[in-house]
Amino acid sequence: MAKKIKYAMVIDINRCIGCKACMTSCKAENEVPLGVFRNHVRELEKGIYPNMKKIFLPVLCNQCDKPACKAALPEGYEDAITKRDDGIVVWDEAKCKGKVAEAAIEGCPYSNPYMHPQKNVFQKCDYCAHRVDAGLQPACVATCIGGARIFGDVNDSTSDVFKYMATHSTHVLKPEEGTEPNTYYVALDRITAERLEGSQQLPPTDATEIAVENFSG
Amino acid sequence: MQLKRRKFIQLGSAAGAALTVGSQFGMKAKASALMELKQTGSASPTGKKNQEIPYTCLTCNIEDGGIAYVEDGRIRRLEGNPNHPGNRGKLCAKGNAGHLHVYDPTRILNPLKRVGPRGSGKWKRITWDEALSEVAGKIQGAMDIDPMSVMFQYGRNRTHGLVYRFMNALGSGTVNNHTSICECNKKVAMEHAWGPDIETPDFAHTKYILNFGSNLAEAAYFHNPYIQRLMDGKIENKAKLVTFDPRMTNTGAISDEWIPLKPATDGVVALAMCNVILQEGLADTEFIRKYTNVTAHQLTEHLKQYTPEFAEKESGVSADTIRRIAIEFATAGPATTYTYRGSSMHQNGVYTEKATMMLNVVTGNIEKRGGFNLPRGLGFGGGPGPHPPKPPHSILKYPPEYPLASHHVSHHVSHSILEGRQKINVFMLYCHNPLYTQPDGDTWKQILTSEKHIPYSVSFSINMDDSTKYADIILPDTTFLERWDPESMPSSALGWVGLRQPVIKPLGNAKAFRDTIYELAQKIDPDGKRGVKKYFSYGSAESYVKNQLEATPGLKAAGGFKLLKKYGVWPFYDKKKEDNFKFGAHEETLSESDLAGTTLEGRTLMKGGKSVGLMVDGKAVRGFGTPSRTFQVNVPEWEHYGFEPMPHYEAIEDHKRMKSDELLLSTYKPNVHTQSRTPNLKWLQELHHRNPAWINTETAKARGIGNDDLIRITSPIGYMVTKARVTEGIHPQVVAIATSSGMSNKSTLGNYGGSKDPDIVQNTWWDDTGVHPNQIIPVSTDPIGGGMGWFDTVITVTKAKSGDKYGDTRSDRGAARKAFEKALSKATKVRTEDAHNTTAKTNVRDEIHTEVGGVFGTTAKLRDFEDPFNTTA
Repeated sequence: MAKKIKYAMVIDINRCIGCKACMTSCKAENEVPLGVFRNHVRELEKGIYPNMKKIFLPVLCNQCDKPACKAALPEGYEDAITKRDDGIVVWDEAKCKGKVAEAAIEGCPYSNPYMHPQKNVFQKCDYCAHRVDAGLQPACVATCIGGARIFGDVNDSTSDVFKYMATHSTHVLKPEEGTEPNTYYVALDRITAERLEGSQQLPPTDATEIAVENFSG
Repeated sequence: MQLKRRKFIQLGSAAGAALTVGSQFGMKAKASALMELKQTGSASPTGKKNQEIPYTCLTCNIEDGGIAYVEDGRIRRLEGNPNHPGNRGKLCAKGNAGHLHVYDPTRILNPLKRVGPRGSGKWKRITWDEALSEVAGKIQGAMDIDPMSVMFQYGRNRTHGLVYRFMNALGSGTVNNHTSICECNKKVAMEHAWGPDIETPDFAHTKYILNFGSNLAEAAYFHNPYIQRLMDGKIENKAKLVTFDPRMTNTGAISDEWIPLKPATDGVVALAMCNVILQEGLADTEFIRKYTNVTAHQLTEHLKQYTPEFAEKESGVSADTIRRIAIEFATAGPATTYTYRGSSMHQNGVYTEKATMMLNVVTGNIEKRGGFNLPRGLGFGGGPGPHPPKPPHSILKYPPEYPLASHHVSHHVSHSILEGRQKINVFMLYCHNPLYTQPDGDTWKQILTSEKHIPYSVSFSINMDDSTKYADIILPDTTFLERWDPESMPSSALGWVGLRQPVIKPLGNAKAFRDTIYELAQKIDPDGKRGVKKYFSYGSAESYVKNQLEATPGLKAAGGFKLLKKYGVWPFYDKKKEDNFKFGAHEETLSESDLAGTTLEGRTLMKGGKSVGLMVDGKAVRGFGTPSRTFQVNVPEWEHYGFEPMPHYEAIEDHKRMKSDELLLSTYKPNVHTQSRTPNLKWLQELHHRNPAWINTETAKARGIGNDDLIRITSPIGYMVTKARVTEGIHPQVVAIATSSGMSNKSTLGNYGGSKDPDIVQNTWWDDTGVHPNQIIPVSTDPIGGGMGWFDTVITVTKAKSGDKYGDTRSDRGAARKAFEKALSKATKVRTEDAHNTTAKTNVRDEIHTEVGGVFGTTAKLRDFEDPFNTTA
C-alpha cells in the first residue's frame, strides 16, 4: 500500500539570493494584508569590513508534527487548528479568532501566525494548501528564482524533496522546542549562533526587521 | 566549531531523520501515486475557474514571460510562464506584484487638462476627443513653424519603432531615449569591440565568474533568468563567483569572495589581471591571433604598464589578490566576466567595459560553453508599411561633442533646451520621469515648469509621477497588462520572441499608447494633406504587432501570431537544448552563397560595402559584428577622435584630487524596485520604502555619526539631509543611497480615477518614504560613450546642521550649470562637419535599436528550432 502523503519543504540557504520574490508571491497568492507576512526572508550581516558576510534566512510556518500553536489553544477550542492527514497545519477562521487566535499566535515559537488586522482572525502560512490541493506547488516554491525551495511528499522516494533530503544534511529551527518541524534547512549551520548574536540587523521600518522582531520575540 | 545553545535557532536533529529516509534513496524509482505538483496554474480561493492569459512582463526591462489569472475581469494573480526559455516559470519580487500597476490607486484613468499654474495640481477631466484635438492642434501649429520643434522624450519605450514612426511622419528628429542614464557606456564599448551591445554568459556551465559591479541577485540584465543559471553554475557546477563592488550587495553576499574597491577603478584591476595572465603564459594566444586585430606580442607589450602594483595604488585591491584572482580565472576552465552599470556608468566607463571584456579575450573564453558569449536575440520587423522617411537628427539627440555616443546623451537634454540649442514648441513625455530619474533633477524641473522653454507639454502616463505633474495635458496610458508589444531579449542561450498582449480591457478611460498615437495621427492629418496619415493606416494595435512579429524567420511556419497569443513566447524552452547549445558563432564557416561576390580587404571579407566575414588560416568564417569582423582590441574609430584605441585605464580627474575627508556618492537599485516606476506598488513599498545612506562604520565614527543619525550630504551642486545606515558592508570612501524612495506622488490615492485600496488605507504601517539623491548629483559624462557618470560624485558627509530637517534637498542652479559645462569641456573637440558625418554613421546603430527594437543578436542566427511543439510534448 502506498505510504501516506507527508508534505515537507527544504530550503537550501546556499541557494537563497535574498530576492524576496517568495515574499511578494506569497502576499499575492494569499492576499496577505500589509503589516503581516506568512513568509519572510531575514537578512543577517556579520564581520568587520572588508571581511564582511551577509546571509539570507527564509522563514515560514514549519507545519510542525507537534504544533505549538495548536497546543496553546484554550480548552474547548482544540479544533480551531487541525493537522491535515498530509501534515499541513490548518485553521478554522470561524473558531480561531479573538482571544483564541491570540493564544495560538502567542504559542508559536517561530512567530509565523498573525492576527488579520481587519478580520481579527488567526492566519499563517499553510504551504498554500489550496494550491497543493489543486496539484500546484506552493507560491514561494514556484517562483523561487535561486532554486532554494524544494517541496513535496517526503514519503515518496521519487519526489524532489525526498531526493534532496537524502543527499543533503538538513536541520530544523529550534528543535529544542520539540515541535518537530517539517520545514528543513540545508546549510543552516552557516548561520551559527555566534554569527546571529553578532549580526547587525537591518534598520527599523524595513519589513525584514519585523521578521527579526517576530522571530526573537 | 563550538555552537552556543540559544533559543533563537538551533541546529537540530533532523539530519538523523533525513538519513533514515535517505536509506531508501537509490532504490529503483517507483511511479508515485501522487501526481507531481505543477509549478504554475490557477487555484483561486473562490474556486472559480480563471482565464489563463500569457503576457510579457514590464515591471523592469528584462521582459520575462508570465501568465495572468483573470477572474471576473480582474487580474487575481501573475505567475511566470513555464514555457518561457528565459525565466522558466518564475517571476521576481517585482514581477509577482506587477498587477498592482493596474490597480494602483494613483492611476490616472481620464485625460486631464491643467487648469492652474504648472505643478499646482489643479486638473480638469476632459474627453479623449477634446484631449486629442487639443494636442493635434498644438502639433500642427509646431509643424507649421518647424517640425523639429516637436520633441519626444521617452524612457522605457517597448513599442519597437512606433515612436519613430510617429515622429518621422511628423518630420521631427527631436527624439530622445534614456539610455545615457542607464548603461550606454557598456553598449558603446561592446559595439566597437565585438558588435552586439550585450553578452550572454553561460553561467550554468562555467567554472569561474568575475563580476565587476553588477548586482544580478537583485537587479541588472537579466536578474531573474541569469541568477537562476548562475546559482546552477555555483551550486551544481561548483563555479567560483568573485564580486568587485564597493558595496556588499546581495550578489556580494552569495559570492565566494567580495572584494570592495574604489569606484571607477574596475578597469585597471581587469587590465592588471590581463597583464598577469599574459606574463604568466596563461593566455590563449591562438584566439588572439585568429580573432583579434592585434598580436599577442603587441598586447603583452601594451599591457605591461598595468602592473598589479599600479592597480593596487589606484583601486585599493592588493597586488597579491589581483595576481591570485587572475591566475585562478585563467586556469579554472571555462570562465566569464559579468558587468552592468556598476563598472560602466562612470566617466571612464567605456574604457572599463573594454578592459573587463579583455579578460575573456586573453583567456579565449569567448563563444564557449561556460564562457562569455554573443547574445541570441531574435529580430522582428518594423511593422506594416509604408514607412515614413527619416528626418534629420536633432542636436539634442546626437550632440556633436559626442560623435561616438550612439545611444543619445539624454542627461544633457535639459541643459541643452535651457540654452536654446533646439527650440521646443511641443514636448511629449512617455515612460520617463526625468525629474526623478535623471541627474540634476532640478534643471529638469526648471525646463518643465518654464513655458518659455517648453510652451506645451504632453505626458502619456499611467500615474501622476514627479514629472507628469508639470504637464499641460495628460493622456492616460495603459499598464503593460493592457497593451500589445512584440518582445525579444537575449536572456538565455536560446533566443525567443514573446508577445505582450492585453490580459484585461484597459481600466476606466485609459488608452494604450499605440492606440492613442494612431488616433492622434488621424487628428493631426484628417485629410491626409500633411502626409502623416498614410503611415497610420494599419488598423489596430494588434495587427501592427502581428505584422512585426510574423516577420521573424520561422515563426509563421511554427504557428505565427496565433501561437504567440496562446503560449506567449516562441520558441519554447527545452532544457536539453540549452545544455547542449552549440557555441562558436564567430567560427561558423561561411557558405558558398555567403562567399559569392565577396572581396578581401586585409583579412576582412567585404560584400556590397559591408564586412561579412573574416579569413582565419585560409578559412572564411563569420567573425564578429565589427567593421573588420575581428574582436577589435584596437578600435580605430576611437583613435580618430583622439581617444585611446587600445585597452586603457584613465583615472577620473575629480577622484585624483579628492581631499582626505571627501567621499564618493553611489546609488543603487534595491531588489524590489525599478527606479521610479514601482514605489507605489504596496507590496514592494512595504519591503523597501526608506533609503538611509550606507556609510562605513569607521567613516561614520570619524564624523561622530551613529546609525540612523540625521546627516547632511553635500555635493558640488547642493546638499540633502537624510539618515545614516552605519554598516561594515561598504567601502570607507563610499556612501551609497538606494533609488526608488523619496517619490512625491504618495498623496494622490484615488485622486485621478483609480480606486482606493482599503488595505493601503487601513494597514500602511510606515510613513518614512526616504529621500531621493538625484537632485544633488551633477551631470558628468563619459566623453566616448556619452553616458552619465552616476557613481563619480565627490561629496562630504557631516552630521546634520542645526535646523536641518529630514528630507531637505537643495541644489544650486548655477553650480549645476557649471557641472554641465565641465562635462562638456571634457568632450572631443571635433569640427562640426566631421561631427555630422559621424552622426550619419551612428544612424545605422540607431535604426537597429529603434526599428527592430533593440534586439541584440546581430551575429547569431536563428537555428535549432525545428518544431517547438514537440519540445513540450
